[in-house]
Amino acid sequence: MNFTQKNSNFFKGIFTGRNAVIAIPYIWLLLLFLLPFIYVLKISFAETIYARPPYSSLLIWGDSWLPSIKASFDNYLFLFSDSLYIKAYLSSLKIAFISTILTLIIGYSIAYSVARAPTRWRGILLMLVILPFWTSFLIRVYAWIGILKTEGLLNLALMSIGIIEKPLMIMNTDLAVYIGIIYSYLPFMILPLYANLEKMDMSLLEAAADLGCRPFKTFWTVTVPLSIPGIMAGCFLVFIPVMGEFVIPDLLGGSETLMIGKVLWTEFFYNRDWPVASAVAILLLAILVVPIMLYQRSQEKAIS
Amino acid sequence: MKRFGSFNIFSLIVGFSFLYIPIILLILFSFNESRLVTVWGGFSTKWYGELMQNQGIKDAAWVTIKVAFVSSTIATILGTIAGLVMTRFGNFKGRTLFSGMIYAPMVMPEVIIGLSTLLMFVALAIDRGIFTVTLAHITFSMCYVAVVVQSRMSSYDDSLTEAALDLGCTPFRTFILITLPIILPAVISGWLLSFTLSLDDLVIASFTSGPGSTTLPMKIYSMVRLGVTPEINAVSTILVGVVTLGVITASLIGRRQKQQVLKTQHT
Amino acid sequence: MSENIQFSPWLDSSQKPYIQIQNVTKRFGEFTAIDNLTLDIYKNEFFSLLGPSGCGKTTLLRMLAGFEKITHGKILLDGEDISEIPPHLRPINMMFQSYALFPHMTVEKNIAFGLKQDNLPSNEIDQRVEEMLELVELTDFANRKPNQLSGGQSQRVALARSLAKRPKLLLLDEPLGALDKRLREQTQFELMDIQEKLEVTFVIVTHDQEEAMTVSSRIGVMDSGNLVQVATPAEIYEAPINKDVADFIGDVNILKGIYKGQNKVGTQLFSEDSNSIVYATQEVGASVEDEMWFAIRPEKLEISKVAPSDDHNILKGTIEDIAYGGSFSTYHVKLDNGRILKAIRANRERTKEHHLTWDDEVYLQWAPHSAVVLLS
Repeated sequence: MNFTQKNSNFFKGIFTGRNAVIAIPYIWLLLLFLLPFIYVLKISFAETIYARPPYSSLLIWGDSWLPSIKASFDNYLFLFSDSLYIKAYLSSLKIAFISTILTLIIGYSIAYSVARAPTRWRGILLMLVILPFWTSFLIRVYAWIGILKTEGLLNLALMSIGIIEKPLMIMNTDLAVYIGIIYSYLPFMILPLYANLEKMDMSLLEAAADLGCRPFKTFWTVTVPLSIPGIMAGCFLVFIPVMGEFVIPDLLGGSETLMIGKVLWTEFFYNRDWPVASAVAILLLAILVVPIMLYQRSQEKAIS
Repeated sequence: MKRFGSFNIFSLIVGFSFLYIPIILLILFSFNESRLVTVWGGFSTKWYGELMQNQGIKDAAWVTIKVAFVSSTIATILGTIAGLVMTRFGNFKGRTLFSGMIYAPMVMPEVIIGLSTLLMFVALAIDRGIFTVTLAHITFSMCYVAVVVQSRMSSYDDSLTEAALDLGCTPFRTFILITLPIILPAVISGWLLSFTLSLDDLVIASFTSGPGSTTLPMKIYSMVRLGVTPEINAVSTILVGVVTLGVITASLIGRRQKQQVLKTQHT
Repeated sequence: MSENIQFSPWLDSSQKPYIQIQNVTKRFGEFTAIDNLTLDIYKNEFFSLLGPSGCGKTTLLRMLAGFEKITHGKILLDGEDISEIPPHLRPINMMFQSYALFPHMTVEKNIAFGLKQDNLPSNEIDQRVEEMLELVELTDFANRKPNQLSGGQSQRVALARSLAKRPKLLLLDEPLGALDKRLREQTQFELMDIQEKLEVTFVIVTHDQEEAMTVSSRIGVMDSGNLVQVATPAEIYEAPINKDVADFIGDVNILKGIYKGQNKVGTQLFSEDSNSIVYATQEVGASVEDEMWFAIRPEKLEISKVAPSDDHNILKGTIEDIAYGGSFSTYHVKLDNGRILKAIRANRERTKEHHLTWDDEVYLQWAPHSAVVLLS
């Protein structure tokens, strides 16, 4: 039996079957995820013009053999000069930060309760938590409009019970945005928290109790520190996307509500200012790059 | 030490109420005779009837379904390969970048993804339409599938693959005959996840679609900007119903798979 | 069975080894798992790789199977270099520690799997599967799924599957680890029978030294990536090459000695514990005043309350502990200097009262040929 002959299937070098398998998703992501960012970067250095597409070309082919580059930092300077943008970035940071904290508190209580529930209920409870997440984001935000607006159901309920006399003006304020964000992002916080809490070794808590630690203290000194990976994952999953959130501030927020996602949308769709929109995106990306990398690192660590 | 005490029950009740009341109200008022949200005019399905007449909505729904089906199928294939690569191919060159490209889309704001993808399409003079929306959807969906498959593979018994190789099965056939059947439930839930994500996407679709390829979320959004109407409630209710069915199915499959995994684990 | 006694191809210079592991090194990054290891295994051997966790035995086995790449060195099978050949092209089969039965296939399909990969005609496959099922006595279980089998049954299906292709070499990774004691003993003998009947070369990895001693033609003791000693079970037990091997296999008493030369009895060592010269028949090449050790197995220490008639190789002490083991008893004897030795004696008489009891003053004696001198 000569098995070395069968070996000829395995050609060495870069064109191995293994590399081909890696290449398929790799190339797709390179072309359709990473490459677009190059274009955003490029256009952020361009000028707005009346044309299709509405930005100037970066390379000017003139008489000479090599093209000249026509790029400018104007768009970035514009962002820093007009206080609207800086305010929007800061406001987004504030809103993202606060909503992450609030979502964490509420999400942790729910995740903790599901994790402690009797085993046979946990599956159903978890499914009930996940269900809204799978329902349309847009629809869920929309549902809140009907509740929060001046003639909405919340005011109707509160007024008919007699708690308030005049309707609460929640709609089109920052408060509505917070409610919307917490509502929509709660499942993103609960899932990683639950995954972590469920795997927690109950005997650790029992050991603490055995050594004289009261339940409340055990929670803070044992449970919470052990759930930090889940907390981190949940916070990343809320903070980073909320920074660039558009739908919620658009539908529930007012003209006072400044979020950078809304600004980007406005610049692109209404002002038709693609270069500025690109600059906004690049700056936002710059702010988020570190958190995104931290998130990726924490996920990789969790898997290995 | 009380395991599941009153605080826990309280949190759950409040939590679930918070999560579900808006949706329930939405569904309820899709059957409202009256146009107003705060006045119950009696039970009526007339808004569903009006929905059926609305060609704009029907076209948008059809576009959305087409995009969702195609994108989730391709995303599942790509994402499964990606998930396998992440867990089984060790530390290959360029792995960090690959891993970054898998995790980043899951947290990156959609406006950035939408804008960047569109700008590239424009620069490459690719006409926007169903094709471009589908491409964009495949790209972010496959990352979710990759993570689901990766998670399943981490509890997958590698010795099963080694046993198959040892018995003379080529790596490719081993994947088809052994690995894939065993992780199939995870792959299917990946498909369902992709389908839902595509069905639901507003921001990225707004950037990357073109004339004639308005998706349902885009249509609903444009209607919402004009004000709350029971018609929107009706279409929302239908969407919620479809998705709920999908989730329950996926959950049941997931349950069965978990039992299967537990049964095959030797001590 | 009597053939086993004469089976020693490693002593026969005309025999060529079936497996040649030549100067193999395996590194995982900075960590060296296998360090320049050379080993020859002969056809029809039942060879055990024995050692503590982390010694590299499983890594070596996996390199034979093809699941780990060799960093340096070669592995030859029947004269051909298989180092670069992927696992699915090697004529070697493996039985996995976790059994690795395909959960979505029946017992029958599991066993047939390897045969299907070779594209054998289906009636031949059916016949072979039936043979295998008969061999492991699971004919009635053909249509069961793995989750319907007990641990012992799963193990036999795994064995049947790995033998179905009639490999020339079978690798077994801790095959009996998950079985309870009685089942393990029974299966050990079954394995030996099957190996002989089918004329397959077995290489088994185990951390259980009793198991290794029972089944093996030869044992390779490994430690930290190196082969410390390769010999028959008897040789390893009675003539360990160093203190570590002596200590690893079974119980042993290891005492220090200072070399004082040879006489007609054998080697003379001065022992601090007995404060006298002790004798061993083994010849040792060393210089006077060299420090070394000698090892005595507990069953070779005669224990008695009566002082022995001759005066060499004697230690005095008190019984500190007795462990009653049914067929034999283990006595922990504390010497005057505080050192504790173990002596084992068969309980030949059925009387409730044993002659020896706690705090008895006893004499321990051993024959000169019962001790092994160890230089390291």
